[in-house]
Amino acid sequence: MASDIPPFLLTKPAAHTYERGRGKLKTTFIEKGIHHLAEVIRTGYVQWETATRDNFFQKIDARVKVLFLIFFIIIVSLKKDILAEALIGAFLFILMLVSRLNIFRLYKRILFLAFIFGFLVALPSAFNFITRGEIVLTVLRMPKPLSLWIYMIPAEIGLTREGLYGVIMLTLRVANSLAISFFVLNTTTFTEIIKALKILRIADGFLMILTLSYKYIFIFARMAEDMHLAKKSRLAGQVNNTDARRWIAGRMALIFKKTQLRCEDIFKAMLCRGFSNRIMIYGVGKLQARDWLAGVTFSLVGALFLWM
Amino acid sequence: MKEEIIRLEGVSYSYHDHVPAVCDIDLAIGEGDKYAIIGANGCGKSTLLQIMNGLIYQSRGKFFFRGHEVSEQALRDKGFLRFFRERVGYVFQDSDVQLFCPTVLDELLYGPLQLEIGKEEALARAFQVMEILKIENLKDRPSYMLSGGEKKRVALGSVLTMNPEVLLLDEPTNGLDPRTQCFLVELMFALSEAGKTLVIATHDLALVDDLHTTVALLSEAHRIEKLGAADDILSDEELLLSVNLVHEHTHYNGPATHKHRHSHYFFHKH
Repeated sequence: MASDIPPFLLTKPAAHTYERGRGKLKTTFIEKGIHHLAEVIRTGYVQWETATRDNFFQKIDARVKVLFLIFFIIIVSLKKDILAEALIGAFLFILMLVSRLNIFRLYKRILFLAFIFGFLVALPSAFNFITRGEIVLTVLRMPKPLSLWIYMIPAEIGLTREGLYGVIMLTLRVANSLAISFFVLNTTTFTEIIKALKILRIADGFLMILTLSYKYIFIFARMAEDMHLAKKSRLAGQVNNTDARRWIAGRMALIFKKTQLRCEDIFKAMLCRGFSNRIMIYGVGKLQARDWLAGVTFSLVGALFLWM
Repeated sequence: MKEEIIRLEGVSYSYHDHVPAVCDIDLAIGEGDKYAIIGANGCGKSTLLQIMNGLIYQSRGKFFFRGHEVSEQALRDKGFLRFFRERVGYVFQDSDVQLFCPTVLDELLYGPLQLEIGKEEALARAFQVMEILKIENLKDRPSYMLSGGEKKRVALGSVLTMNPEVLLLDEPTNGLDPRTQCFLVELMFALSEAGKTLVIATHDLALVDDLHTTVALLSEAHRIEKLGAADDILSDEELLLSVNLVHEHTHYNGPATHKHRHSHYFFHKH
């Protein structure tokens, strides 16, 4: 075998120093994207860790928590008063504090998403050409009104009090809905949520899709991250964005092909263990006094918010 | 005296900032060494190799390659990145993630082309490597149409075409049939004879014995339990038992039972 080694493998690098001053590498969008993908795995781990702690909300039965989630999201959607929405937000904040969640990390995400999907989406509706009312901030003043097809643009364009009220309401609703969802997700393990949904008679097909999708996200993220590391270990310079896009496009097809093969294997593994399109669950106990107490308390608080 | 090529000083790494993977690792590897990092599953062998390849960065401690400190900052320097990548190659445990090009030939050409080696030279390297690895017939196949052994050969070939000084091999014989394992051991010997530095992460004690490596034994507490020659470490059954590399095994022969220590290595030792 030794005599078969190709001559190029016997050559050694001339020097053990490197050429300085060739410049610095920039972090490409692909690198940032992969880091975000890796964040998915980290988030999953953090959620599992916080959900298995021995704190107030973590101890409550998942069925109560799922009903709490549905009930409070309905309340948040029904309320048309900023004060009530703010009070619901404060109540959720207290629950998070009591459950000893990482408030800073959670609210960073909640506020970011609420800003994008609440505030920015609703902001145009605050202008007087969409929501009529008293202008509180003038943005543009034109010499005369404009008529565009069936629309009339007034001479003075600005944000109205009624429009801003609507924007704040929508932003608070999005923020509260996110807070409720993140709160339950960070205090309940995924398997407990699935069990609770099964007991609440959610269709098996839906639960199967949910479970496999959740698992797929982690497998996909892990595979993409590992593949990126494998590429990184053979990269010796800067890759421009065009090449990076081409690489991504080519590798996506490969990852999907590999994932498809992996999925087939998983399905075969399920079949050989007797899978017959039904989700079977175990370890579902009776609700304890603590769960009933929490359920009644949340119902009363919810009813109070509805009454307000 | 051999020149030191890799040095780790007090290196630690934790996943998700919580789960310790390696703790306070000190080791030095000389040029041309055959070095094995052994330990039970989950003790941090792969993490250590990834740190040595600059793929992840230690949370504490320092890593030096030929006296140059390797860090995230250092690898941002284009000159140093090129210097480091053309000298250190990494063969992943899971060949599936390492093979990301459309065909086997593309896979073998990827590294040399990244190193800006001319196309003719790169092609010549690829064909020479295919010849030694006996995979010429696979050159136009996509990676998902290869068997486990073929994937491992292609993964190794994709690194060999870059002609690195140091080969980091993560569980190179794991899941391979005996003939492919034997082929890989012979190849590793030949590469070592050719002057390559081999760093192997494995729990295959027979491989460590075959290659007569220097050994760093990792404990399940993710620390170095012992450093030494393969013969010294493999002969210390108590030590191997304490790090879960061998286990006690009970046999039932009719009414009689007896218990002995067992591992594939001890069973086949010759």
